[in-house]
Amino acid sequence: MSAGRPTLTPEEVSELRHELRTPINHIVGYAEMLLEDLPDADAAGRRGALEETLVLARGALDLINHKLAAGASGATQVATGELSTLYESLREPQARILNVVAPLLASVSGNEPELVADLRRILTAAEKLVPLDVGGADADPGTAEEAGTAAAASDEADSGPARILVVDDVEANRDLLRRRLEREGHVVECAENGQRALEAIRARGYDLVLLDVMMPEIDGYQVLGYLKDDPATRDIPVIMISAADDMPNIVRCIERGAEDFLPKPFDPVLLRARINASLEKKRLRDHEVEYLRQVDRVIKAASAVEKGNYAAGALADVAARADQLGKLARVFDGMVAQVRAREERLHEQVRDLKSEIEAARRAARPPEAADLDFASLPAGERFAERYEIIEVVGAGGMGMVYRARDLELDEDVAIKTLRPELVSDAALTDRFKTEIRLARKISHRNVVRTHDLGEWKGVYFLTMEFVEGITLRELIDSRGQIGVSSTLAIAAQLAESLEVAHERGVVHRDIKPQNLLLDADAVLKVMDFGVARLAERSSTRTEAGLIIGTPAYMSPEQLLAEPTDARSDLYSVGVVMYECLTGTLPFQANSTISLIGKVLNVEPSPPNVINLEVSPALSILILELLAKKPEERLGSARELRERLAQIG
Amino acid sequence: MSRILLVEDNEMNRDMLSRRLTRKGYEVTMAVDGREGVEMAKQGGYDLILMDMSLPEIDGWEATRQLRAAEETRSIPIIALTAHAMAGDREKALEAGCDDYDTKPIELERLLSKMEGLLNK
Repeated sequence: MSAGRPTLTPEEVSELRHELRTPINHIVGYAEMLLEDLPDADAAGRRGALEETLVLARGALDLINHKLAAGASGATQVATGELSTLYESLREPQARILNVVAPLLASVSGNEPELVADLRRILTAAEKLVPLDVGGADADPGTAEEAGTAAAASDEADSGPARILVVDDVEANRDLLRRRLEREGHVVECAENGQRALEAIRARGYDLVLLDVMMPEIDGYQVLGYLKDDPATRDIPVIMISAADDMPNIVRCIERGAEDFLPKPFDPVLLRARINASLEKKRLRDHEVEYLRQVDRVIKAASAVEKGNYAAGALADVAARADQLGKLARVFDGMVAQVRAREERLHEQVRDLKSEIEAARRAARPPEAADLDFASLPAGERFAERYEIIEVVGAGGMGMVYRARDLELDEDVAIKTLRPELVSDAALTDRFKTEIRLARKISHRNVVRTHDLGEWKGVYFLTMEFVEGITLRELIDSRGQIGVSSTLAIAAQLAESLEVAHERGVVHRDIKPQNLLLDADAVLKVMDFGVARLAERSSTRTEAGLIIGTPAYMSPEQLLAEPTDARSDLYSVGVVMYECLTGTLPFQANSTISLIGKVLNVEPSPPNVINLEVSPALSILILELLAKKPEERLGSARELRERLAQIG
Repeated sequence: MSRILLVEDNEMNRDMLSRRLTRKGYEVTMAVDGREGVEMAKQGGYDLILMDMSLPEIDGWEATRQLRAAEETRSIPIIALTAHAMAGDREKALEAGCDDYDTKPIELERLLSKMEGLLNK
């Protein structure tokens, strides 16, 4: 029952086209400009988002041009009904642009104020694209502010049709009212008594009930009471009609929940005003209910994310709202999408790493006898009255590593025996014990759990979680070098384990590929937290100690026997990543002295010069880890983890 | 360096176009409505005017007519910019005295080639 004209004049079409194209122009212009400004190293994946924005905006522009084409003679006429179709079809690109740009904006740091401002401009323009009062050409703009999605509700503005039930026992009254209301454009049904009225309302629901007070059998007060007592009909507005225009009656009706009161005979203008006011109130209430329902959906979506069963785009219709709730839903959706994408990348990295590990294991050969310390314990030997040696799994500067059965707990453990000369100094051994006590407290999937420090027949030994897997040393030796994706998977896990350890005050001091285990699921486990304390003493005292400390992975301050902290570990991570990606160490020399000289004085070649697959951002990150002075490196393992997340 | 007068009432359009043109090496001065555009153009020193057509105070067509009528601005090339893209807009723009016509959204390369064409005349 639209009272508006069926078509728009060419001038109106032209104006509308201008109005719709202006925000698109802004989106296109700013997106193009930002693309022009984008550095070649598009670390944050901005190019894709901006290009998608451009495509969407141009698509929307085509839609507008198509629907509101300028006719050759300028005599374009557009049916008003087509406008709501156009608005509806613009909602999708609008929502998608918001969905692409909002997370991009959220990912931009504060030190790019110009970028932030331009992305905000794009968002503002996108929000302006589809006008808020989309309910139709007749919608009252003053009351349609919240009409984000409730298109059904917004049909019922001033002149829009509403479904009204007239309840009166006098036929002439019913007729008069019906005709009046139909002239106003409403859809009207009638009931001649209270019983019929209740049946009709319960069956069909109405936007408004006009209820006569004085009726036989069930009178208007009773009908009102029933309606207001029933949750299903409580919200339908009721206007009471009665000739008894005395104050007590009016008060009684209002107290029972009537919306309003109309005295007979009614003035047409007053009738119209009161009906419209009631309908408007209902509309606002419907909006409120709808709004709260959508708020509830956002809350449910948040808990779905927690449970891991959130379906992307589940909030699409909420996100299409033009108000703050819509914005919240868009930001929410964008954040979830970002997290998902990151998870997907991580899965990919782990998959790549797994296949590298599998390839290395296929190529692996059992350790030759010559690798082993002649003093190793034979298989089957009972050790420390609790363990049964199964096999030697490694030999290093510190001592031997065995796989053994813990006969008490009936599970496999790793036993690491320590060379006697490492534990000959009582004071240092105490410090070492303190460190091991701290390290034992680290419980993390990326850290090999340290069980106990013991002594048996004069030999100090550590028992640890046994991990079935290969060391990163073996992986690098077998593969030559490791892919970027796999390296990122390794580095991310390494950073996570160090973050936890450093927070507990434990610095590893001997991060190197030999100490990094990878199991068949590509889970990285860092070994020997706390153990390097022993080597530290040696490195300052004896030449032999330097060999134990693996100088290739040691930070300059470690080599200079200066105080070390968490940042020393970060340096070693840099060397490990460098070696993974290039197959070579950042510094190579024929002697320890020459190596130390290089570590202290020479800048390494950037890894992306050696391996072209390495992105400049990753290369820069590694060089930052390899900075000579601790204060020039990344500040913490957490920062490393965050930087890696940005890259990968 | 060519000096461009950009007459545009929309803040975002001004910001966007002036930044993009500045980057391409033009010196851009801005006016926010037709009246200001005409006044500034009359002060002289512009090699080209980019004129939005839907402007407050005096619209682009009228501003162009005034510029064409005044001795000191008669020969400055004017490119009309419009988002309406009505059929006949182009003729209307040329009739009012514009030298060329371009539609929004601006395709920068297309606009630049039109500008260069006029600047090199």
